[in-house]
Amino acid sequence: MSARKIGEVILKVEEISLAFGGVQALSNISFDVREHEVRAIIGPNGAGKSSMLNVINGVYHPQKGSVTFKGEKRAQMDPHKVASQGVARTFQNIALFKGMSVLDNLMTGRTLMMKSNLFQQAFYWGAVQREEIKHRERVEEIIDFLEIQSIRKTPVGRLPYGLQKRVELGRALAAEPTLLLLDEPMAGMNVEEKQDMCRFVLDVNEEFGTTIVLIEHDMGVVMDISDRVVVLDYGKKIGDGSPDDVRNNQAVIDAYLGVAH
Amino acid sequence: MVALASSMNSTFPRMLLQHSRTRPNAPAMREKNLGIWQTFTWVDTLERVRALAGGLAALGFKRGDNLAIIGENRPQLYWAMMAAQALGGVPVPFYQDGIASEMKIVLEEAGIQFAVVEDQEQVDKLLEILTDLPAIKHVAFDDPRGLRHYQQPQLVNLDSLCDLGREYAKSHPDFFEKSVEQGRADDVAVMLYTSGTTGAPKGVCQTHAALIATAEVLREFDNLNADDNVLCYLPMAWVGDFLYSFALTHVAGFCLNCPESPETVLTDMKEIGPSFYFAPPRVYENILTQVMIRIEDASTIKRKLFHYFMGVAKRVGMKILDAKSTGVNNVSLWDRMLYKLGEILIYGPLKNVLGMSRVRVAYTGGEAIGPDLFDFYRSLGINLKQLYGMTETCVTVAMQRSGEVKLDTVGKPMPGVTVKIAASGEVLVLSPGMMKEYYKKPADTAEVIDENGYFRTGDAGFFDPDGHLKIIDRAKDVGRLKDGTLFAPKYLENKLKFFPHVKEAVAFGDKSDNATAMINIDMAAVGDWAERRNLGYAGYADLAAKTDVYELIRDCVAKVNFDLASDPNLCGSQIKRFVILHKELDADDGELTRTRKVRRRVIGEKYAKIIDALYSLDESVLIEAQMKFEDGRVGIVKATLKIEDVKTFTPAEAASSAKKAA
Amino acid sequence: MGSFIEVVLGGLMAGLLYSLVALGFVLIFKASGVFNFAQGAMVLLAALAFARFSEVMPMPLAFILAALVMVLVAFMIEKLVLRHLVNQEGIILFLATFGITYFIEGAGQLIFGSDIYRIDLGLPKEPKIILESTFDGGILISIEDLVAAAVAGFLVLLLALFFQKTSTGRALRAVADDHQAAQSIGIPLNRIWVIVWSVSGFVALIAGMIWGSKLGVQFSLALVALKAIPVVILGGFTSVPGAILGGLIIGVGEKLAEVYLGPIIGGGIENWFAYALALMFLLFRPEGLFGERHIDRV
Repeated sequence: MSARKIGEVILKVEEISLAFGGVQALSNISFDVREHEVRAIIGPNGAGKSSMLNVINGVYHPQKGSVTFKGEKRAQMDPHKVASQGVARTFQNIALFKGMSVLDNLMTGRTLMMKSNLFQQAFYWGAVQREEIKHRERVEEIIDFLEIQSIRKTPVGRLPYGLQKRVELGRALAAEPTLLLLDEPMAGMNVEEKQDMCRFVLDVNEEFGTTIVLIEHDMGVVMDISDRVVVLDYGKKIGDGSPDDVRNNQAVIDAYLGVAH
Repeated sequence: MVALASSMNSTFPRMLLQHSRTRPNAPAMREKNLGIWQTFTWVDTLERVRALAGGLAALGFKRGDNLAIIGENRPQLYWAMMAAQALGGVPVPFYQDGIASEMKIVLEEAGIQFAVVEDQEQVDKLLEILTDLPAIKHVAFDDPRGLRHYQQPQLVNLDSLCDLGREYAKSHPDFFEKSVEQGRADDVAVMLYTSGTTGAPKGVCQTHAALIATAEVLREFDNLNADDNVLCYLPMAWVGDFLYSFALTHVAGFCLNCPESPETVLTDMKEIGPSFYFAPPRVYENILTQVMIRIEDASTIKRKLFHYFMGVAKRVGMKILDAKSTGVNNVSLWDRMLYKLGEILIYGPLKNVLGMSRVRVAYTGGEAIGPDLFDFYRSLGINLKQLYGMTETCVTVAMQRSGEVKLDTVGKPMPGVTVKIAASGEVLVLSPGMMKEYYKKPADTAEVIDENGYFRTGDAGFFDPDGHLKIIDRAKDVGRLKDGTLFAPKYLENKLKFFPHVKEAVAFGDKSDNATAMINIDMAAVGDWAERRNLGYAGYADLAAKTDVYELIRDCVAKVNFDLASDPNLCGSQIKRFVILHKELDADDGELTRTRKVRRRVIGEKYAKIIDALYSLDESVLIEAQMKFEDGRVGIVKATLKIEDVKTFTPAEAASSAKKAA
Repeated sequence: MGSFIEVVLGGLMAGLLYSLVALGFVLIFKASGVFNFAQGAMVLLAALAFARFSEVMPMPLAFILAALVMVLVAFMIEKLVLRHLVNQEGIILFLATFGITYFIEGAGQLIFGSDIYRIDLGLPKEPKIILESTFDGGILISIEDLVAAAVAGFLVLLLALFFQKTSTGRALRAVADDHQAAQSIGIPLNRIWVIVWSVSGFVALIAGMIWGSKLGVQFSLALVALKAIPVVILGGFTSVPGAILGGLIIGVGEKLAEVYLGPIIGGGIENWFAYALALMFLLFRPEGLFGERHIDRV
């Protein structure tokens, strides 16, 4: 498919177990993600995919196990810190600022990279404007990349669902992440929108070299764009490997049997 | 105004050189890139064209070669056109949304070896057919996104091509100027493939001389000059874009502005504020629809204001606009003040939103434009005019002069153009903008250009008493009633379709006693109308059969008849009887083409029984029709259709009430 | 005619001050969804602090110190109250601001004293007569009011710039739009709250100074804030321009009603006019002039 170089392991998840009250959401999950690869986590509904993403993201704190990102082993972390380490994400239920323009939404994605503080903003207008322009240039590149020039100034709330998803991807990209977590990026889309989204995911991976972990419920799309796939079912890992391996894995076939697609 | 040396014997590359000498720092092109308008002066343009030409020359492009140009309106692609011309070659622009298999035919016929394309999408299309087209040696692309890992030896980045060209220029100083020197005015400047609605696509070869002469006429006609601004957003392969963008930027020296993307055209218009605008009726219609939707969503006060002042504009706006060119003022002071107030409150802001605040002249052409649409723009003070022409004549056969605008004519013949009406009613044109030939199709060329050098347009038309040309239909579709009256079905159908309640209409009358029509109502519009008067209905067929609906449509048809009555040529073809069809004509049933054009022959056979009834004295007809459902099943629909008579008018009646109205 | 214009001008001035208080409400409501009942108390506290500081130090220094006090208050409110009530119902947060109100009023008077204090900004108090040639008797206008109006206008401009043009302003708008989304992309909610309450405290300081210089600093200043409630109802809870226009409408409306309707239906209209107007709005246009229309989809 491409001449992308897949590098060393960048994210390592080891023996993660997570329970809410009596419900075991994840049990003993381990896998790794290599630099520049597209890694999918799939599984039927309730398999624990979103929980897994939230563990990586720092929203949930697992009872057992560890997450190692860029060689740094983590105990507990909050999402804010994880974000500042270079992890950005999108949400299954779009979490954009509906009343703000696309441009402003993307600019908020640069928050962590803004250096000026409130004091400077009040007194050093020129320097702050220069910084703003620098960020704006980067954001414009993303707007160009995602082909959303025509909606730059449109309030996000007025956009159709598919475009909102694209804007959310844009906001995540604005943070220039090394690791991008996509929570069901194609959910609720029609075939054409899904194809567009696939193309953007691949382009992001190729042009920016971003490592991508994506969760999908629907096997079909993911298989085409992923380098390796982890399959979860009832909080357990039942498969891990290339799309072809996974497709022929009996446990996976069983898990998906009876699940309508 | 730009002083240009006599344009006789000039070519576009010579004009480029001249602009870069006489007004080097004037803007030649703008492009919005990453949210910012980037300007290229004439010197910048020359530098890039020179580099591109060098690169092409280094790869072996030579005089007489054709260069394929595929993509949206980008400065780089316009430069590629200029580079090809400078080298004595011929640019062949393609429609960017054409599919690979269609492109293949043209690429093959034009013997394309070199192509300059916009992006991955176009590269992919070419790669798909490359194995069948061994002649193609080089494909240069502008936007490298997604192409990084493509290994095909033919591919070259446009930037590297320019670098190559700059190297080439070092070892071949003056190659550019020398090559331009060798160019002659009667060389072919561009090859424009007509979309080929009839038969295979044909490459229209236009010379520098013809294009420049035409552009000169256009410049004079509307006083275009270097201060004008144009947004080029129509397909590069279309003659309209080539003439109004490419040729006129050379001749009038104004700046071309390329939109950021096809979706941003409206925003870009607003930012650029073009002074000259050209669009087919469809585009004007889309804009109007968007305005109306937004108005309906606006607050009550705004909506009321809008409708009130649009009423004022409708009443006096067009007269005020005409007064600007004719000097004849017959609008009361009060109305003029109201209109001024409207300009401040409504028209001004609206034109600003549409990006038309600075439009001096706007044109439309290609198909008939509806009266409501036309009046809407003109009443706002936008000088919208119609023109008539085709690729083969560099468009510009007839155009409306400011102050001499009529809804259903296309204006008087342009200076230097002679228009004749053949005995058959066909419009014949002798024009300085006449094409040289259809590329490699001498037989076709001979067929359309007669022994006296007139071009057969294939359109039927006539001159009205004021000397304006009126185009009524394709010549082959025009027939005669039994009494010899001209019968132009499309003209009648269009007039009917301009009513929002009529979706489709098919007129009959050739070799008959009188004209009749079959009508499809517009489900949305008529449904809405019915709901507002609490008229219940169960579906299309039910609604179509309602007496009230028949009355509504009969009024529309009567209005058409009234219009026809005032035209001596068409008075006899008033519609005597009509029927509202029980089902919508559908492309799936073969009644329409995929582009929603009526298939006269199919309909004539399928509904022979109805047509017979239209020409009998019956007041209804029972029909059975096969119908495909959405799920693919086929069923039979039975219905009794009413046939109604419509009032017709004598010319005297039309004239007298027209006087009363005035 | 001259007297009519005088009444309108007087109303505009009073209205502008309502607007300033209302602005404080709107800022906090937008950013944290809290209807801050304590806004009036904050005005009182700011005025008290400024009045007492300016007794012992030059005015600019007193201004800066008073502003710092307001930042401190914002900081403490976030630390002690808001942080612990994250994701609670609006009504609970609203009730919490009741507590804050009493606390601030009590603590403020404990620290700064409970007498009536004067704020003298050094502006000429005596009114001026202008436009004598145009109207019979001219129009009486207070320079102090004019300066106050200019300051208020400048403040609004500054706030608009801050919200639209700075990255912090953008972050504030983001938080106002969707708390959770803002948090997830790394906008620190706590800091934003401190900023919003500080800004709103700063606005309270300006309002307190102007009111204080007109009426003297006393407990009744906190009641002025009550007038801001009809103002936000009129203008819409989330609209900055609405707060300003609402204030002006109520200011002018109540003065006009007092002067022209007073003789007919009795005096004291000024006291209830604003609430009656607000009630009308609640009945016929609950979202206010500029508020977001809230439609529950069924």
